[in-house]
Amino acid sequence: MAPREEKLRCTKEPYIEDVGPQRIKSILFSTFSGEEIKKLAEVQVWNNRIYGVDLRPVENGLLDPKMGAANKTGVCATCHGNFTECPGHFGYLKLTLPVFNVGFFNSILNVMKCICKACARILLLENDRRTFLKKMRNPKADIFMKNALMKKIRDKCKISICPRCGSRNGVVKKARSSFAIAHDFSRSVDDSIEVVRAALSHIKAKSSFQIVHILSPVTVLSLFKRMVDEDCELLNLYDRPEKLIVTTIAVPPVAVRPSVFVDFGKSSNEDSITTILKNIINTNSILREDLEGAAPPFKCLDCWAHLQIQVVEYINSEAPSVPDSKHRGLIQRLKGKQGRFRGNLSGKRVEFTGRTVISPDPNLKITEVAIPVLMAKKLTYPERVSAYNIEKLRQRICNGPDKYPGANFILLADGTKQHLRYVDKKTAASELKYGYIVERHLEDGDVVLFNRQPSLHRMSIMCHRARIMPWRTLRFNESVCNPYNADFDGDEMNLHVPQTEEARTEALMLMGVQNNLCTPKNGEILVASTQDFLTSSFLITRKDTFYDRAAFSLMCSYMGDAMDPIDLPSPVIIKPIELWTGKQLFSVLIRPNAHTKVFLNLMVKEKIYTKSETMCPSDGYVYFRNSELISGQLGKATLGNGNKDGLFSVLLRDYNSHAAASCMNRLAKLSARWIGNHGFSIGIDDVQPGEHLNQQKKKKIDEGYRECHELISLYGKGKLTLQPGCNAAQTLELKITGVLNQIRAIAGNVCMNELHWRNSPLIMSQCGSKGSPINISQMVSCVGQQSVGGRRAPNGFIDRTLPHFPINSKTPAAKGFVANSFYTGLTATEFFFHTMGGREGLVDTAVKTAETGYMSRRLMKGLEDLSIYYDQTVRNASGGIVQFLYGDDGMDPAKMEGKDGIPLNMDQLFMKIMATCPPREHDMLSPTEALRIMDHRLAKYDMSPEGGCSAAFKKLLSDFIHKRVSALENMRKSLKLDEINIGRKDSTVLENVAAKISGISSKQLEVFLETCISRYHSKKVEAGGAIGAIGAQSIGEPGTQMTLKTFHFAGVASMNVTLGVPRIKEIINASKNISTPIVTATLLNGRDVLSARVVKSCIEKTVLGEVAKALKIVLKSSRPYIVVKLDMDLIEALHMRVSAESVCHSILNHPKIKLKSEHINTIGSDKLKIYPPEADRRKLQFEMHSLKAMLPKVIVKGIPTVERAVINETNGVYNLLVEGTNLLAVMGTPGIDASKTRSNHVIEVQRTLGIEAARQCIINEIQYTMRGHGMSIDTRHMMLLADLMTYKGEVLGITRFGISKMKESVLMLASFEKTAEHLFNASYGGRDDQIEGVSECIIMGIPMQLGTGILKVRQRYIYKST
Amino acid sequence: MVELLFEDIFTLTRLDPDGKKFDKVSRIEARSEQFDMYMQLDVNTEIYPLHVGDKFTMVLTPTLSLDGTPDSGYFTQGGRKSLADKFEYVMHGKLYKISEEASGGPNVKVEIYASFGGLLMMLKGDPSNAAQFELDQRLFLLMRKV
Repeated sequence: MAPREEKLRCTKEPYIEDVGPQRIKSILFSTFSGEEIKKLAEVQVWNNRIYGVDLRPVENGLLDPKMGAANKTGVCATCHGNFTECPGHFGYLKLTLPVFNVGFFNSILNVMKCICKACARILLLENDRRTFLKKMRNPKADIFMKNALMKKIRDKCKISICPRCGSRNGVVKKARSSFAIAHDFSRSVDDSIEVVRAALSHIKAKSSFQIVHILSPVTVLSLFKRMVDEDCELLNLYDRPEKLIVTTIAVPPVAVRPSVFVDFGKSSNEDSITTILKNIINTNSILREDLEGAAPPFKCLDCWAHLQIQVVEYINSEAPSVPDSKHRGLIQRLKGKQGRFRGNLSGKRVEFTGRTVISPDPNLKITEVAIPVLMAKKLTYPERVSAYNIEKLRQRICNGPDKYPGANFILLADGTKQHLRYVDKKTAASELKYGYIVERHLEDGDVVLFNRQPSLHRMSIMCHRARIMPWRTLRFNESVCNPYNADFDGDEMNLHVPQTEEARTEALMLMGVQNNLCTPKNGEILVASTQDFLTSSFLITRKDTFYDRAAFSLMCSYMGDAMDPIDLPSPVIIKPIELWTGKQLFSVLIRPNAHTKVFLNLMVKEKIYTKSETMCPSDGYVYFRNSELISGQLGKATLGNGNKDGLFSVLLRDYNSHAAASCMNRLAKLSARWIGNHGFSIGIDDVQPGEHLNQQKKKKIDEGYRECHELISLYGKGKLTLQPGCNAAQTLELKITGVLNQIRAIAGNVCMNELHWRNSPLIMSQCGSKGSPINISQMVSCVGQQSVGGRRAPNGFIDRTLPHFPINSKTPAAKGFVANSFYTGLTATEFFFHTMGGREGLVDTAVKTAETGYMSRRLMKGLEDLSIYYDQTVRNASGGIVQFLYGDDGMDPAKMEGKDGIPLNMDQLFMKIMATCPPREHDMLSPTEALRIMDHRLAKYDMSPEGGCSAAFKKLLSDFIHKRVSALENMRKSLKLDEINIGRKDSTVLENVAAKISGISSKQLEVFLETCISRYHSKKVEAGGAIGAIGAQSIGEPGTQMTLKTFHFAGVASMNVTLGVPRIKEIINASKNISTPIVTATLLNGRDVLSARVVKSCIEKTVLGEVAKALKIVLKSSRPYIVVKLDMDLIEALHMRVSAESVCHSILNHPKIKLKSEHINTIGSDKLKIYPPEADRRKLQFEMHSLKAMLPKVIVKGIPTVERAVINETNGVYNLLVEGTNLLAVMGTPGIDASKTRSNHVIEVQRTLGIEAARQCIINEIQYTMRGHGMSIDTRHMMLLADLMTYKGEVLGITRFGISKMKESVLMLASFEKTAEHLFNASYGGRDDQIEGVSECIIMGIPMQLGTGILKVRQRYIYKST
Repeated sequence: MVELLFEDIFTLTRLDPDGKKFDKVSRIEARSEQFDMYMQLDVNTEIYPLHVGDKFTMVLTPTLSLDGTPDSGYFTQGGRKSLADKFEYVMHGKLYKISEEASGGPNVKVEIYASFGGLLMMLKGDPSNAAQFELDQRLFLLMRKV
């Protein structure tokens, strides 16, 4: 860096070893001693002035130029580099007296607790010391074990007399008042204290006597210096303990604490660090003067304490001992979202980006993004000049930076950069040579990354091809809205331009839109038609849309800008006039001409489907056969996102992403243009109900109201039949809610039937583009019940919702039922109830976003480094195995075709094979032959476990064939055909017909099996796949969509289970206390209600007060007692098996009632006499009453932790739902099938059944919660999460505690939470970060070892023989 | 001479059995006289109105040319003479499914399904009538009122 002339001139160039490219392998955290800091520093800082009178930094001041260049004009006095070259150098600041380092304060305290305060040896007996040392030195011990061991040692070091020097040791603790260590003898003193106390009693009688020494930093330092190395080792100290105490402060380089001149250089604005350091210098020098001069000791001590506080502030300005600091200490710089770790190291600001508002453009391909010219002129790509592009680049250079297809810079071969604004463009163009690099403007076809925040899953950033367009917005095809979750109400999106060819190819291959059509969450298609595309497709494919030749040809040309060759199909109706149908248009769209070899076969049931397959009267059964639309009106199920057997999914699986993408492009163009001509809008007449509808609605509402009134009057009389586990009020609520919901549902159905088919909202709802039947019915007929927190509107006033209603009114209108529609308008009270519901929704979304965001972050940090290795195992960054085979079958969730993560949709595939390879004449297989062919194929190597085929898939395949074969057999049986006659030339007519119905030829079967198997093998997950990150996203992303509906009935009404984000949080946190623990118990005798009741009464908590008929105090002169009489009728009726004996036993076992067996007399089976224990006569009355108050609460039967148990019936089989914990007790209750009893409490399952059961419980619970919200997530993601949470042998939550037990990397943990704590602990223990994980690699700027980084090329080095 | 796949006279028994769903298209139910076939057919009633009780001849054929040359699938220009000349309503489509009747009675019936660009036909009857039909066969449906 130094200029050449200032370098030391030697006669010979000094030898510098060529070490080649270097890479940071690991980072060791440790501490520096004062001496080391001094050696590293370039200058001693002692001057408290910063700038001199000449406005230059003062020497030995805080901005000494030896510590680096202060600004762009400055030069470093040490290395003579300028601002960009010189990274800065440290200075040092010698403290007069040592002080504690806040970060290490707890560590210092802990060390002090363990050593003798006289001889500095560890307070352990020699034997203990040896064993512990041996354990500590065990090479197999990892950090967690060492930390646990250290804790153990600390607990052992409680000897009050040092075994070596025999001196007395008190308790070491943090001094209550100030930042210091107190040594308290008050506990460990013997009787000598009494002597002292007695001696001092006459002086100050009142003051409490304490023997506390304050251990000053100097004493601690001297003790530390005398510590033996072996003892340090025992305390897991990596380095000498004296380094934990600050004697010298390293002054950071000027570059990290810039000084800014304000007021035209008159004064300067200093960084917090500089200011604090300046204060420290001041205090330090005052302290030195005080010590050297003869200042009174208390003044020196005060000054020292002040210095201590300032050093604390320097490190941590938010420490409790620093009163309201205005500065930012070192820790404050590091921690938090904006801090160094999360703000600057884990995520960095980048060049070549753009951001602007987005808008839709259906004329773009789905892989394209339109970039405004203005943006394209700023964003450049460095293109290397070669023979192929030199002419193009010359032209670009001539255009310069301001004219669009131009260029901004030229990089010459020697590395100099020319800005084209400041050079002569003509000459620059003519002097262009091969190998130069031209930073040209973005052009059509360039690779860009496109992103919208929040980036919740990997499809939030995808790679598009650029299209440079005029105007000012970024535009893209609406089909791609879904993955970004974008709409055009003012959303902005970001654009990044990769700058190298490698980056471009990688982006295109891995992040390209066409390679991310499916979500890895569950394999459903994500990029698919939306909104208007669905509407127009729905309308085009109506049965009664006919087009003449002109119209049909025009529409055919819409879909490819009239540039594609199209084979016009023959018209459907030839006579009386030639007419084509809209369905034919879709056949053309899928397969425009005979050269397009796409044979699409699929069957989908649309929303409007009613019955009898293709002959469905409302045409809801979509059937494509060899790319010809046979029947069905297309809607969301076929064309939309979120399905697995829709048109685009099938195209993608059976053909390729290009086929699906080009089909989407054609559809977008066609429908945008078609709907533009056709017109589609909504008006007031669309929501006007007809006369009939009004009557119907009135009738239904009247009926419902009457029903509700009847229920209310029944309730008033107390004659309501109760629902299981509910009281009368709850039953009423449930029933009324049911009735009212019924009203709205019926009103909705009437709407859907009554409205004309041209009604725009109806069309949109039917095809699935927007809106549901409920939305329509709310506009047209009835808004329905408003709910707050899952119930009817709560009482805001005393016993009523609003003062408009009578007190205690439970009528529908008084509890928030809105009978009006949005069209008729809401009454004042209805409107108020509606806003209550609306507000809840708003609050919920606001709260949930923050919560799910944090949840996603934690999941990501927990799972980020899990990836697939070449041996198909899932491991974390340090190579620890989390799963032996990903998801138990090694399949990629993104590629799964069937439901519930099954690899293939065999029905669809079979149909395709049957349609695409028609059988040749008379070679049909008989059922037995078919089975033989299958068995033969399944016996081959690639269907064996060694060949990489799971048993589940093999069974799936063979089951499918068996099903087909039995269908064939049944058909033949019904046609009265026999087995043998099959496949003969001389077969009968019937035989022919049978072959056509469901015959299968050997070729077809072979092709089917072959396709299944080869496709199965292509669906294996690839080595290097970052399935951890994908899993985290797949679980985190749906969380954001989980709004409202926090509770859900578990089978029985009134038994709620938490759902939604709170529940997911509980599971992921591995909470010890969950809000709704429920044990689902299966009964041994499930068909018998009586036995269910018996078991229930055994489980449910019953207190004495519930079963006692009477509880009386009997006062007699001899001895008063309490009589308890049991209600035997009730006990019999409930099958409780409670007797006086058992009650006596329960009372004796009650923890608070201290009675002995002689105090209780049982009389018969239903009476008890309880005598109070012998006591004072005066207290007797009191004792009797307190006993009487306690007795009703004695639990006589059941499990105390169980709140209640409810019998639940599902098709004749009864089971028990137990609200509460203690799975073990429930399982042990007689009459319960313990092996089938489950709990939703993960931690409890782990405690009772073990870690594997806990793993399964986590999987089941997440799945259950997600399903409760109608979200399907591939089970492999949940398996991975559950495995990560359990692979250490205990259930670890994805919280800061759990994660710090899972990961070893300091940098990763520091970038997660508790930054400073982790860093200080790491330097105390001398932790070594291997930089293997994702976070560490990002922080260090090293490519991580996942994905494409898993592969390492090793080159054989050829040694030169010299 | 062209070989007809099926020919019979039908009587329209019901119009739109599940209610009228479409403006221009109606589903008709009809029974044939000769083979006692049951048929459901979507007809564009806007250009070819039909009423309950109407009798009509229906013919299914793989080609329209009189000499029986197979249909090319392409448009033939010029008003060449064809089978269609004798009929009032002609549709072109594809046979997509042959199946046995779902309810397994003693006399199993065979159902033949064809789609004329979304206008569907279901023809149900004795298996012997189905022998000549092939899957994925191009079909012309010709109708003439009698």
